[in-house]
Order: sequence, then structure tokens, then C-alpha cells
Amino acid sequence: MIERIGYLWPEIVLFIGACLTMVIGLSPNADMRKQTGLIAGVSLLIAAALGLATPAAPTWAILPGIMPFAKPLIALVGLLLLLVNIGSVDRDEEAAIAAGKPFNPLRVTGAEFYAFFLFSLMGAMLCATAGDLIWLFLALELTSLPTYVMVVLSGRGKKGFDRSQEAGVKYFFLGALGAGIFLYGFALLYGGTGTTQFVEIAQHFAAHGMNPIATVGLVLALVGVSFKIAAVPMHFYTADVYQGSSGGVAAFLAFVPKTAGMISILLLVSTVGWAAGQGSLPPAIESLLWALAVLTMTVGNVLALLQSSLKRMLAYSSIAHSGYMLVGVIAGPGDGSFVSSGIAAVLFYLLCYGVMSTGVFAVLASLERKSGGEAVEVESLDDIKGLCRSHPWLGWSMVICMLSLLGFPPILGFFGKVPLFTSALGAGHVVLVVILALNSAIAAFYYLRVVAGVMIDPESDSGVRDTGVPARVIAAVISGVLVLGLSVFGNVFMGSGEKAAEVRRFVGQSDEHDTDSVPLDEHSEAAEDEHHAVSH
Amino acid sequence: MLGMSDMMHMASATLAQAGYPEAMSTPALAHYLFLSAVLFVIGIVGFVTRRNLIIMFLCTELMFQAAGLALIAFSRFHLHHTGQTFVIFVLTIAAAEAALALALVVLLFRKKDSLSGEEWREMQG
Amino acid sequence: MTTLTHIIPSLVASVTGSLVQDGHADAAGEVGHAAEQVSHAVSQGITPPVDGPLWIALIPLLPILGVVLTTLCAIFKVKSKLPAFLTVGCLAASFGLTVAMYQHLSGMGPGSTVVVTAFEWFDLSWGAGEGQRFQADFAFYVDTLTCLWMLFVTGLGTLIALYASEYMAQDVGKGYSRFFMAFNLFVFSMACLVMGENLLVLFLGWEGVGLCSYLLIGYFYKKPAAVEAAKKAFIVNRIGDLGLLLGIFLTFVKFGTVSYPELWPLVEPYIQMVKSGHAGDVPLTVSLIPILLMVGAFGKSAQLPLYVWLPDAMEGPTPVSALIHAATMVTAGVYLIARMYPMFLVSEYALPIVGWIGALTALLAATIGMAQFDIKRIMAYSTVSQLGYMFCGLAVLSSTGAAFHVFTHAFFKATLFLCCGAVMHGFAGQLDLRKLSGVAFMKGWGIVGIAMLVGCLNLAGFPFTAGFFSKDMILAESFVTAGPGYGAIGWILLITAGLTAYYTFRVFFRVFVGPKAFEPGDELHEDHGDDGHGDESRPEAGATKFHPHAPGLAVNLVLGILALASIVAAGAYFVDKEDHGWVGRLVHESSANYTGSAAFLEHGDGAHRLEAGATGDGEAGAVEHGEAGAAGHGAAAAHGSFLGMDPHKAMYYVSSVVGLIGIGAAFYLHYLGRTTAARSKADDLLPALGPIPRWAQHKWYVDEFYNAVIVVPLRVLAHVFHAIDRLLVDGVVNLAGVLPRFVGSRIRPWQNGVMHGYAVGMVGGLALLIAAVVLLSM
Repeated sequence: MIERIGYLWPEIVLFIGACLTMVIGLSPNADMRKQTGLIAGVSLLIAAALGLATPAAPTWAILPGIMPFAKPLIALVGLLLLLVNIGSVDRDEEAAIAAGKPFNPLRVTGAEFYAFFLFSLMGAMLCATAGDLIWLFLALELTSLPTYVMVVLSGRGKKGFDRSQEAGVKYFFLGALGAGIFLYGFALLYGGTGTTQFVEIAQHFAAHGMNPIATVGLVLALVGVSFKIAAVPMHFYTADVYQGSSGGVAAFLAFVPKTAGMISILLLVSTVGWAAGQGSLPPAIESLLWALAVLTMTVGNVLALLQSSLKRMLAYSSIAHSGYMLVGVIAGPGDGSFVSSGIAAVLFYLLCYGVMSTGVFAVLASLERKSGGEAVEVESLDDIKGLCRSHPWLGWSMVICMLSLLGFPPILGFFGKVPLFTSALGAGHVVLVVILALNSAIAAFYYLRVVAGVMIDPESDSGVRDTGVPARVIAAVISGVLVLGLSVFGNVFMGSGEKAAEVRRFVGQSDEHDTDSVPLDEHSEAAEDEHHAVSH
Repeated sequence: MLGMSDMMHMASATLAQAGYPEAMSTPALAHYLFLSAVLFVIGIVGFVTRRNLIIMFLCTELMFQAAGLALIAFSRFHLHHTGQTFVIFVLTIAAAEAALALALVVLLFRKKDSLSGEEWREMQG
Repeated sequence: MTTLTHIIPSLVASVTGSLVQDGHADAAGEVGHAAEQVSHAVSQGITPPVDGPLWIALIPLLPILGVVLTTLCAIFKVKSKLPAFLTVGCLAASFGLTVAMYQHLSGMGPGSTVVVTAFEWFDLSWGAGEGQRFQADFAFYVDTLTCLWMLFVTGLGTLIALYASEYMAQDVGKGYSRFFMAFNLFVFSMACLVMGENLLVLFLGWEGVGLCSYLLIGYFYKKPAAVEAAKKAFIVNRIGDLGLLLGIFLTFVKFGTVSYPELWPLVEPYIQMVKSGHAGDVPLTVSLIPILLMVGAFGKSAQLPLYVWLPDAMEGPTPVSALIHAATMVTAGVYLIARMYPMFLVSEYALPIVGWIGALTALLAATIGMAQFDIKRIMAYSTVSQLGYMFCGLAVLSSTGAAFHVFTHAFFKATLFLCCGAVMHGFAGQLDLRKLSGVAFMKGWGIVGIAMLVGCLNLAGFPFTAGFFSKDMILAESFVTAGPGYGAIGWILLITAGLTAYYTFRVFFRVFVGPKAFEPGDELHEDHGDDGHGDESRPEAGATKFHPHAPGLAVNLVLGILALASIVAAGAYFVDKEDHGWVGRLVHESSANYTGSAAFLEHGDGAHRLEAGATGDGEAGAVEHGEAGAAGHGAAAAHGSFLGMDPHKAMYYVSSVVGLIGIGAAFYLHYLGRTTAARSKADDLLPALGPIPRWAQHKWYVDEFYNAVIVVPLRVLAHVFHAIDRLLVDGVVNLAGVLPRFVGSRIRPWQNGVMHGYAVGMVGGLALLIAAVVLLSM
């Protein structure tokens, strides 16, 4: 087990960074406290670099190539999210301290916020490192638990805090329900296969086929984990929670748990699908995912149509995007090339979605307006009308990211969606592709409404102004630029996505000892050794 | 549970050679699993029907412990320690969630002077 | 230069000799040349490319730097000529690098090609099989053809940017930065077009220059005519672009690649097929490629039937007309065909179509040019006409002639345009040749007058000017190459040469010499006014008070350099004689080499060698030729002949005569016969010609014809479709909008904000899913 440390350096760095911010954040010196954001940023940068250098194809991983892609992705989008979240907590408290209020360590929560932020990102990375169910369970919980606190902390002003508390309570309790469901699923999966290691689970399925206990366990696990990606029927919390959180935290929720959940689903599905020797998923699981995908994208889009609050609209759109990604999961690895691999498509789409949704939320987080004597975040479309004229940088970033979310060619989101289409077509899911296309068309209604409002409509008179935190505007602009840049240079990431989506296949139906891993033979032997080490 | 008995035989054969004590029998496992499922369903039903936030939280704890029970039963059935290891971690996470939940409940109670989950319904649609 | 001494006697000899040997001409064209003489494979002529130094990529990158800098100038509202100087700096550096690139390539020996990959652009595969991968790097392909084009693109770009720095001075602080931004972007796009390693980069550049052309024609965007012209150019070009795009698609489908070096060997078998007389075996889809590419070339290079946008494009600022619409962009079509020359040899029809379209365009445009009064438009029609020549040159297997004509034309036409621009600038937008006279003799206009004269002599094909040599090369080849009706093409081009000389000097004699008289532009031209967006304040209107302002230092300097370059360009003909001049060498070492020529076009290859000798040895060459012809040398008439003589030689005499006749006619009618600035003897002749001059003046009603045949029916159709759209499609779309909303409103109550409701939804959903899975598994 100890050699796994070699794959964990990014997580270790984030852990150290989180501990440092917690300690330094309690310093009575305001200048010291200000350094916490910097520390978080630096540790994310280091983690990204280390993540890129993560060795691929370890013996215990079911998706051997995923780490060098997922870890830098999480760290770099995390950096963008950090920019959006700077100053979102404690701003008023720090201002009061600067104005002469005595420093009270119990009242200062900014550093804790950063620590939770890093812990959650670390959890998402650990999901990518997971080689067994226990690890995955811990990683998922590590991703989620800090976000509950972040949601509650993020409210600003009296009304904002009311809302963030409501969001927190809904998120936490429903999240615990979801966790209970997938934990029970994990327990049954373990029971049905006799192991918690993904590689061994896959070998078991390859040798003996599915059994009812494992099937029910897998269904529970998949449905439970879909809470993290906000898929129907676990999506109910999404809109309320995004609406109640600050823009930055909503952006965080739209990316980090979703990425952790998506990676977990890929790991779980790999064990039963292609890794177990079949080209595709067992019919029952495929139907389950099919239903989840169709329901998720449709429900997300039709509800997004009706929203007047931008955050709620984005929440439902985030649900719909999870549905799109599930299409890639269903398509499976194909022949391994980028256009035929649904897994590569999902991973690349996570990158696209991370950048574009962060951009949109960053724009919202950059703006505020006066309401009842206190500054509140902008909420409705009316607030950001004419943004291209009043705040051109923000406005155009919004336009670019919205068009990208819509999948407007030739912007990033389009290139993200194309492999989803091609991989699903390659796997023969024509109906699914038609539904995906119809949903993209429905989505155009509400995205274009925002684009038109921002670009064409006269400026709103609701007194919208900049929040005065330049980092958020910078994050919005970086996202916009990234969306455009990746539209041109995204092929670099397509290549690494293809590498990350490499799957292992265990063929052989008779005996566990005959199992054979296609990429590298010694893997299964090593897995066998580990298996014995655990059992004795 | 057709696949189960096959597995059972296979596991017993291997383990008997290795000098292990006899594994849990399939009927005995079924009893444990039944209990675990009942606990899980009680947890879910409780979560849905009760309004008190603390009780709702306890119901999620019940679901966790149902999973724990299943894990231990399977662990014994397979003659591994893996499941039991898992349970230790589950308990740890449950403790962490409890800490969070109680802090949250206190905060919420201060705000609304009530523990009912239905008080929190401002945001909808 | 010994030819100088015997031009007159030989001229006489040729005319008399032709009568005797007339019968031989046809026979000579028919006899095929021995296959081994021309059996160089295209792929043999070009060595496989090697990786080049990365600094070559700076050539297109420097203009992009210029775009960034001028954009910054626009953002910071710079109110000086800074953008112009930044542009000149960037382009001059780019030109310097181009020269270095040429040196680098020359140092590698003849036939070398270099590929510089900037970055991987597209790499898509949809399967492991052959042809299931699409790759296109953002790479640059440098051979001698590239160097030729890039030298004059960057060189002229630099000079014209310098000229524009003064020309656009009224716009400083207004549209100045915007102008130079588009200018730089144009040079970048043109560099992509010319230097691209594959058809995709070419297409990027192709569309880029189209966009810049649109932006710059519509530079005075408050002026409706400019906006209309910009739209027209854009739309007409789209038709051509469609052809190009389809051609690129088909190339990829048939050959699996769009990269030039990979393409040539794949095309080779088809060329051999055509050469060996089995043209019918070439698949239709392959022989369709050159036809489609050709449509693209016709659009960009303003050939029939797509030429109508170019004259209107003169609404743009004159430097733009000079650079884009005379010297560089419009030659992109010629470049495309020259670059893809091997591809054009696989179809029996492609080159003849190119030739006929070119010849007809040349004639038509020349006749229109004769009847126009706007000097800039005359120049525009002359550009169209000269482009027709270049296409003919390509069609008659004289890619050398075409490229040489592109090269010389770039200089002298830029000179002509810039002179017209100087006049327009100085006389408040006056471009009517009836309202200007004797400009060259006015104070400060000397250099303009001289430059104009140089340009006109070149365009008219006055003996021993650069234009003379390049035009003759095309003319001669059209008489010697056997193809469908190629003889007729030669005659058409010859007539056109006379017409060209006439209308060119019509402008010169009326505007630049004669009695000094002028009327300033009655509507003050926008670039003189307020960038076209302010109120027209008519600052110096009023004919009595108007003083033409003579061009300043930058304009005179640029005109001087260009006039000189136009003269010196002729010198290119006298170096590298064995290859018919410097340009010839550059062409022969590139993919435009015609040595892989197809059997259906029998080309007098021997004529080239002899002609080269003739140029060098003067009289002796002519004698040698005669002897060689008599001795038979392999195939008695391995080359064609014109009027019984070596065609190149004959063409010197004939075209000199034709050109001088045209000039003489112009001299007689418009100089000697001038009564006032506005009237000349030519006006008296008009009634004799009936309605023809009026038709020509109305451009043969082509615009009206297009309007009636294409625009109006389309408009009617559009209304019909609009009605269908309103009734049917909108109905469906509205339904599509209503249905999701309805579904949404039905399920929205679930989102009631109550946690327990959500929990019920989650658990219920879970239960249903488990039930479904269990049912499915059973």
C-alpha cells in the first residue's frame, strides 16, 4: 500500500496547504490573514504541476490513465474557483476589524473557508486515485462534507445568510440521505463480489458474471452517487442550494462534487462494463443509466426554461449537463480513439464545463446591487441586461461562456459536445443522441435569452455595480479567454483525455486465475498478490 | 441468490485448505442482510416522514449503520477483514457528519426557534 | 539586350514571312512532342520537404503583432500616426525575413522545399483505418513559388502602408487604427494563404483576406455605396468560396490528405493516366476537383462570371485598392491554380475552361474599361482584364508567364492605383477624367506624372517594359500550345492588348497631360472629409477657392520606389535565362512546374529552349531557330509557331505593333484631338459606333442582367420561403418552445422548496429505478 503515496503528492500538498491556511488564518495580524488565499493558490498550483507528473497505469487502478488528467484539471479549475471565491467570506468582518473592531478568532472564518475549499478539492482528486470502495467512499465524503460548511458560510448580509442557511440545511440532510444510499450500495457490492478492490470486482464479474446482490448494490451506488452530479432523481436540492449560496460557492458546487461524482460513476461502471470483458454494459445497468441520462437532461432543461433567477437557471442547466455527460458514460470506451470513447468525451466535457460554468458564475459573483440597505448578489436576468455596455469585460465573458454552455459552434462547449454525440453514435445509441440533440435545442431558448439580454437590451437601471473584488472579474475574464483559447487549442487536451480514458479489460469466464488484463499482464498478478495480502 | 451458493462453496473449499474456521452459512447471512435491509428502510421512511431535524439526522445514521451491519455480515461470510475495516471508516465518517449536523441544527434552531425541517422553504420553484 | 538592335527589321520580316509560312502553323501545333522530353514527373521536380527554421513562422506572425499593436492603439485612442509606423515597421521586418527566407531556400539548392510547423492544428481520427484520420497542421510550406508571392506581398505591403500613412492622415485618431489593424490582418491572412502547408491553412487565409477586403471596402461605413460594395464583394466571393471548399472536401475524400507534399505523389498516377491518353480512366470525382477549385479562383480573382464585385470595391480607400484589389489578394486565384497545378493536369477540361474564361474576361473588361470615365474604375477593369491574362497564361501551360505577369502587374498596377489615389486625394475626390487635365504639369505633381507614365507604359505593353515581357510570354504560349480553341484565345488576347494600350493612355493623355484644368470633386470625398461618419462640413469646397494639394513626401517616395521597381522588374526577365527569367526559375522549382504536362495539351517545349537562346543571342538565336526548325530536331515542330516564326520572337514584334497602335490611337484621339478638358475627338466618333459605347459604358448591363436573373428571382423565392417559414416552421418551433415549457410547468410543483418533498422524490425515484432494474434482470 505504501507505494501509493507516489500517486498522492497533489493531495498531500493540498492537505499541507489547508493546514497552513487554518493556522495562519487565526493570526491576529490582518496582513497575515490575507496571505491565506495566496497559500491556497500556491498549493493548488503545485498540486496541478504534481498532478501532471502523476505516473499512469498503476496496477490497482481500473482507469489507469485518469489521474494525470483529472488531478491537474481539478487543481486548475480549482484555481479559477479560488479567484471567484476570494473575499466571499469574512469581507464584512475584516472590514469591521480594519475599522477598529477587536479581533475575535471565533468570528473570523475566512481561513477555514479556504481550508474547506482545499479539502474538498483534495477529496475530488482522491476520487480519481481511488482503487477500492472504501477509498472511494472516504473520498466522496471528503468532497462533500466541506461543501456543506462552505454553503452555510457563504451567505453575505442578513438576507444572504438566511438563504445560505436554508441552502445548507437542505444540502446537508439530502446529501446525508444520498450518502446513506450509496454506502449501502457499496456494502452490497462488496458482499456480492467478496472484495472492495475495483480491479478484483471487475475480475469477479469477468469470471462469474453479475449476481443479484451486486446488481442491486451497483444500482444503489450509482443512484446514490448521482446526488453528487445532481442527476434525476437526486437533483431536487440543486436549484435551492445554488440559489442560496454565493456565486462563487455555487460555481464550486457546479464543478467539484460533479467531477468527483462523475469520476466515481466512471470507476463503478468500468468494473461492471468494459473492464469485465464485455464491450458494453449489462442491459440492466445500461437501461438504468439510459433512464438517468434522459430524465436528467430533460428535467434540467425544461425546468431551466421557466426560471427567472439566473442562479436557479444555471442550477438546472448544470443538471442538464450532467445528463449530457451520462450519455458519454453509456457510450463506453469504444475503440479507444477520442471520437469513439465516451469516457474521453466525459473527461473532456468536465474540463469544458468547469471552465464555462465557472465563467458564468464568476460574472454573477462580480456584480451586486443595493437592496434594502445592503448589497446583495445579482439574481435576475433584468439585473444584468446591457452588461456588455455597462461592464464590457464581464458582459462579453458572459456572452462567450453562455454560448459555450449552449454548445454554439465553434466555441468550446460545441467541441465538448461533439465527442459525446460521436461516441454515442458509434456505440449505436441513436435514440439517445436524438434526445440529446433535442435537449440542446431546448437549452438554446434560455441561454440565448441571457445572451440577447446581455448584448442587446438597454442597460438595467437597478443600480448594478462591481463588487470591488478584482479577482472575480479576473476569473470571469480568464474563463472567457480560456473558453476561446481552448476552442482553438483544445486538441491538446483531447489527446490527454484520450489517454486518460484508457480502460482495462479482463477477459476470461471460467476462473479468476485465468483473468488477464489486456494492457499489461502483470497487473492482474499484482492484483492477485494484493488480494492475498488482504485476505491473510 | 443463485450465484451466492456457488461462491459459498468456492470460498469454503479454498478457506478450508488454508485452515480457516467455517464460514457463515448462507441462511445465516440472509438473516443478517434482512435485518440490515429493515434498518435501512426504517431509516429512509423515518427520514421522509419525520419533521424534526435531529430525528431526520438520526435516520440517516440508521442507514449508515444498516450498511455497517451488512458489511460485517459479508465480511464474516467471505472470511475477510475488508468489510470490518470498511465499517471502522464508516463509523468515523458518521461521527464527522454528526458533528456537522449538530452544529448546523444549533445554528438553525437559533434562527427559527424550531427544529422542523419544513420551516426552511423560502427558496422554491 | 541585343534584340533591341534588330527589332524593326525583324518586325518587317515577320509580317512578310508569316504570309509565306502560314500553312505550317497548324501542322506544327499538331505534332506531339516526344514523350521523354516532358516526362519529368511532377514529384521528381520537387524534392521532398525538409523541416525549416522556426523563424520563418515569424513572417506571418509579425503582421499579427501589428494587429495587436494597432488594436491597442485603437483601445487607447492614439491620436498620432503611430499605428501607421508600427504597421510599416512590422511589415518591413516581415519583408526582411521574407528576403532571408528566399536566401535560405536558395542556399539549399534548386527544387528544395521547406516545411515549418507552427503547431498541430487538427488531428481527428474516427477509426484506425486508412483515410479515417484528418490531419492538418498549422504549418508553412516554403518553395520558390511561395517566396515569389511573399516577396511582393510583404514588399508592396510595406510600401503601401507607408503611402497610406499620409493618405489616411485625415482619419488620424478616428478610423486610422482600424484601417491599419485590418491592413495588418490582411497581410497576415495573405501570408497564411500563400505560405500554408495545406489547403486548410490556405482556406483560412483565403477567408481572412476576404474578411479584410470586406472590412476595408466598407471602411467608410457611413457611405451607403461603400457598404453596398463591401456586401457585394463578400457575397460574390462566397459563391467562389463554396467551390473552393467543396474542392478541398473532395480532395480530402479522394486523397485522404490536404497537405501539399503528401498530395503531389498521390496525384501523380492520374497525371500519368491523362498523359498516356487514358483521360477517361480518371474518376469523375478526381477530375471534378480542379473544376471546383477553379470556381474559387474565379471568385477571388474576379473572373467571369464573378468579376462584378471588383470594380465596386473601388469604394474603399485607394491604398486598399492598390494592395488588395490590384496587387495581391486578387492574384490569390492565380496562386491557387499555380500551387495546385498538378491537380489541374488531371482533368482534360479544367485548363481549357480556365483559358477561355480568362480570355473572355480580359476582352470584356477591356471593352468596359474603354468606356468608363472614373479613372479608378478604369484601373479596376484593367485589373480584371489583366487577371484574365494571367489565367490564360496558366491555361496555356505557361505558369511562368502567369507568375511573371502577376509579379510585374503587382508593381505597375500598384503604381497606377497609387497615382490615381494621389490625384483623388489632391483634387477632393475628383476621379472623372473629363474634369481633370494636365495634372503632371502642375506644381508638385511631377513625380506622380512620371510614375503614372511608367505604369501606363507597362500596362500598355510598351516595348521593353516589364509588362511587355510578361504579357508576351502569355501571348506567345497561347499560340503554341494546342488546346481547344487556343489559337482563338491568342487572338482575343492580342486584340485585348491593343484595347488595353488604348484605354490606359486615354487616361494618361486626358488627365496627366494636355491643358491644365481641373474641377475639384463636387461631392467632397469621404476620406477627405470626416472619416465618413461626421457631418460633411465641406471645408475646402467651392471650385474658385480650391487648391489641389500636391502629394507629400511619403506618397512621392513610395511612388518613386514603385515606378523604379516597375522598370527594374523587367530585369527579372534577363537573369536565369535558361528558365525564362528569374520568375521562371522560381516557378520551375515549385509545384507550378508544368513538366508533368498532360497529353491533351501539346506544348511546344522546344520553343522554350530556343527562345531562351534567342533572348540571349539576339539575331543569332532567330537564325538558329530557323535552322533547327528546318533540320527537324527530333520533331520538326516540337514547338508551335506563330505566323511561321518562333512565337516568342514573333510576339515581340506583333504585340509591340498592337500596343503602339493602341497608344497611337489614344494619342490621336485624346491628345491631339483634345479641344477642352472635357471633350476630345473620341466623342465625335461615338455616334458612328451606334449603341456600343453606351452599352460598354453601362458595363454591358451585366449587373442589370444578374439582378434580373439571379437577385430578383431569389428575392421572390425568399418572400415565398418567408411566408412558409412564418406559417409552418414558426408554428413547429413555437410548438417546440411550448411543449418543454408545458412539461416544465407540470413538474415544477415538485420543486416546492420543502426538504421532505425532495426526500420523497429521491427515495421514490430510487425505488422505481430499482424495481425497473430488477424487472429487467428477471
